[in-house]
Amino acid sequence: MIRFIARRLWYGALTLASLATLTFFVMRLAPGGPFSRNRKISPEVQANIEAAFHLDEPVWQQFARYIWGILRLDLGPSTRHRDYSVNDLIASGLPYSLTIGFWAIVVAALVGIGLGIVGALRRNQGLDYLAGTVGVIGIAVPIFILGPLAQLYFSLHLGWLPVGGMNDGWHSLVLPVIVLALPNIAYISRLTRSSLIETLRENHVRTARAKGIGPRRVLLGHTLTGALLPVIAYLGPASAALITGSILIETMFAVPGIGRHFVDAALNRDYPLVMGITLVYGGLLIVFNILTDVLRGWLDPRVRHDG
Amino acid sequence: MNAKLLSLNDVSVHFRLPGGEMTAVDRVSLDLARGEVLGIVGESGSGKSQLLFALMGLLAGNGRATGQALFQGQDLLALDPGALDRVRGVAMSMIFQDPMTSLNPYKRIKDQLAEGLIVHQGMTRDAAGTAAVQMLDRVRIPDAARAARRYPHEFSGGMRQRVMIAMALLVKPALLLADEPTTALDVTIQAQVIDLMSEIARESGTAILFVTHDLGVVARICDRVAVLYGGRIMEEGLAEDLLSHPDHPYAAGLLAATPRMEAPLTPRLATIPGTPRSGGAMLPGCPFAPRCTVKIANCTTTQPPLVQTAPGRRAACHLIGGAA
Amino acid sequence: MTVDLPAPLRSRSTAELQLRRFAANRLAMLSVFVLLAIVALCFVGPLAFPFTGEDADFDNIAAPMDLTSAHPFGTDDFGRDLLVRVMEGGRVSLTIGFLGALVAGVIGVVYGAVSGFVGGPIDRIMMRVVEILYGFPYVILVILLSLLFGGGTLALFVAIVFTLWLTPAVIVRAQAQSLSRREFVEAARAGGMTGWQIVLQHIVPNTLSLVIVYGSLLVPEVILSESFLSFLGIGIKEPQASWGNLIQAGTSQMETDLRLLLLPGALLATVLFCLNFIADGLRDAFDPNER
Repeated sequence: MIRFIARRLWYGALTLASLATLTFFVMRLAPGGPFSRNRKISPEVQANIEAAFHLDEPVWQQFARYIWGILRLDLGPSTRHRDYSVNDLIASGLPYSLTIGFWAIVVAALVGIGLGIVGALRRNQGLDYLAGTVGVIGIAVPIFILGPLAQLYFSLHLGWLPVGGMNDGWHSLVLPVIVLALPNIAYISRLTRSSLIETLRENHVRTARAKGIGPRRVLLGHTLTGALLPVIAYLGPASAALITGSILIETMFAVPGIGRHFVDAALNRDYPLVMGITLVYGGLLIVFNILTDVLRGWLDPRVRHDG
Repeated sequence: MNAKLLSLNDVSVHFRLPGGEMTAVDRVSLDLARGEVLGIVGESGSGKSQLLFALMGLLAGNGRATGQALFQGQDLLALDPGALDRVRGVAMSMIFQDPMTSLNPYKRIKDQLAEGLIVHQGMTRDAAGTAAVQMLDRVRIPDAARAARRYPHEFSGGMRQRVMIAMALLVKPALLLADEPTTALDVTIQAQVIDLMSEIARESGTAILFVTHDLGVVARICDRVAVLYGGRIMEEGLAEDLLSHPDHPYAAGLLAATPRMEAPLTPRLATIPGTPRSGGAMLPGCPFAPRCTVKIANCTTTQPPLVQTAPGRRAACHLIGGAA
Repeated sequence: MTVDLPAPLRSRSTAELQLRRFAANRLAMLSVFVLLAIVALCFVGPLAFPFTGEDADFDNIAAPMDLTSAHPFGTDDFGRDLLVRVMEGGRVSLTIGFLGALVAGVIGVVYGAVSGFVGGPIDRIMMRVVEILYGFPYVILVILLSLLFGGGTLALFVAIVFTLWLTPAVIVRAQAQSLSRREFVEAARAGGMTGWQIVLQHIVPNTLSLVIVYGSLLVPEVILSESFLSFLGIGIKEPQASWGNLIQAGTSQMETDLRLLLLPGALLATVLFCLNFIADGLRDAFDPNER
């Protein structure tokens, strides 16, 4: 198991390294620099600013400087928000993003798996159709349509919840979390349902039934593990979708998280901030994938023994 | 009075298919005595496995069984799932054809074996675990204590089937249903596994309903044998007797088609012409008629009844003992 | 003594069976019709109007919905006809969607087929590349790439394709691996076919059903990606219309005038619904066990 985690960490580091490199060069090669869009400034002032940010140095030197900074966990200053370093900005935004993301995963998993199980056991009955409908809506209607509509109805029309921002305690979390979770609820419930249906047909479930241990034991002890494995496997890539979603959610609901910062930074060519957030996201993704893989290994001995 | 352990009376199994209803087992009537080993022989599609599934309540959703299956004073086919669970894994066990997929890959062997004892006999985990290890030893799994802590994928097919046998016989059932347990195994292992089953069953007085398509297996451990075709019994009697002197054309054909070491070499192997019946409605006459080489006019219009043709022997053929 | 054997059934090709199964799925067929109707609307519809989506009608700024007027669904704040803009946006979004999925699919299939077929160290390296690329947060990659190419439609297209070919590649590679071990490939090799010939004539066609099923999910992904990028302001920019930026504009006005959001939103959602049902139908048709 240790070797397994170590290997994944190693690949994770490789991925982060490639990510850093790719991001660095993309930002450098992209048309328009961080200061070319501002109001007109004299060439000397521009040269001074660029020197302060080391933009006058040869590219490879900038790259080396950057990598060195990463290793010291210093992501540099933001070019757009002059008074703040990238570390500061990330530190201020990360808690919001993580909170929403965490709850979205929890809600998506619990509701999704629950609906999926109900759907599989009560096939083609009322609850199954309900779950199916939620499923189709969640998968087909994009977040950026659902979000505004939810805001319109629940916030502006009914006044139950705030439209955005994070100033109202847990009330502020409700809409962002649910809208973010919805596509995942949809997908997870469909996946759980079809996986459970298929597992119920497997030979070892038949053997369990033949032992006369009763339907509850058959379900909990012999069916659920196998049925949930694909769902857990999906949670890894799902976290990537969650990142995409959270960027949209933060934009729509005015949440001051790192997703919002990222979009602003990308549009403003704030290189250091873009790269910093990219690395943070990349790191989160890797950690989450390792966690789901470990969970899978714990549940499925065959995965464990393959290493 | 020779009390029968299991009495099947006109048991039929039907499946609802998109094209209509299909009969897999057609009015089978059989008796099984305590401790007896009865072989059920037939080609693929003869419905033999479905018969066992029907008794265990494991038919697919679109299947239904009719008739009566009397076992320990109850009709298995009339029991609701709750009542059936008090019989399954208690007085009646089953082992299946494919050992590679029939065990739970996520649980240790010990836990899978112990489960039945814990649920049905109220044993503690420790006691059940000990019994499980002893049983693994009995089925000759080497280093049983260590093996019990392993997972199924760490064993070969033959070993896994032994585990299945251990699991089924651990609860000391009165009846064991075996659905082609050796078909998926190497020929060299087959004999070992069969002998093991026979040995343990005899020890605890367990009767076996042994489904197979292999006459060699029947010859090896079965007391009696029933030959099925198209869901109906064609012939039934004492194994040794029937195998050496089959009366029914189908049974005779099967035996002729079994290559033997001592037989003289022939340029062609004997076969039964045609292919096994596959689905669809029952034909009006004898199910074997389309492939029978000695049929008469009556065979395609009237179904021959299963009648006693000699002491301890029954056959369903117009040419034997019935109206010719 | 003669033996009666049943008459042999008329043999049907697998493709025919699969097509019939799909056709029997009413929801999927309905989705196909609706989708075709929307496609026709977006591509042919604008021709029915004397103005384009960029022409401003100053007499009718922010006109409400009036099915009898020249502007059946009204106009926006600049006097541009909403319906025409939505249709033109549809052209862009749908074209990028289908074309993008096709290109990503082809790249992925060939990459995966070659990798799975060749095996060995080359396969390992190719898959390492995929693994590493997979680790990149998708949205980040797309945003960065579209910035790299300076924004605009082509950039968007390249960025999306570049990130989406990975999944088909992984799936096809697994399939190609197991196919390569089969006897008919051995036979082809023994018969003197070159590697490329085998890949193109044997491996790829046999992965086709798998590709169609998973590929059909690519189209909605591409359309969604383009939409949300345009929504964020990174994709298609004004005045060029795309469903994404139309929805974004509609969002900012939604308290006062819902139709600006609802028209493109409803069409987008409908297209995505249809594509999902079609994908489900294809999956059921090709693998009836999956229910």
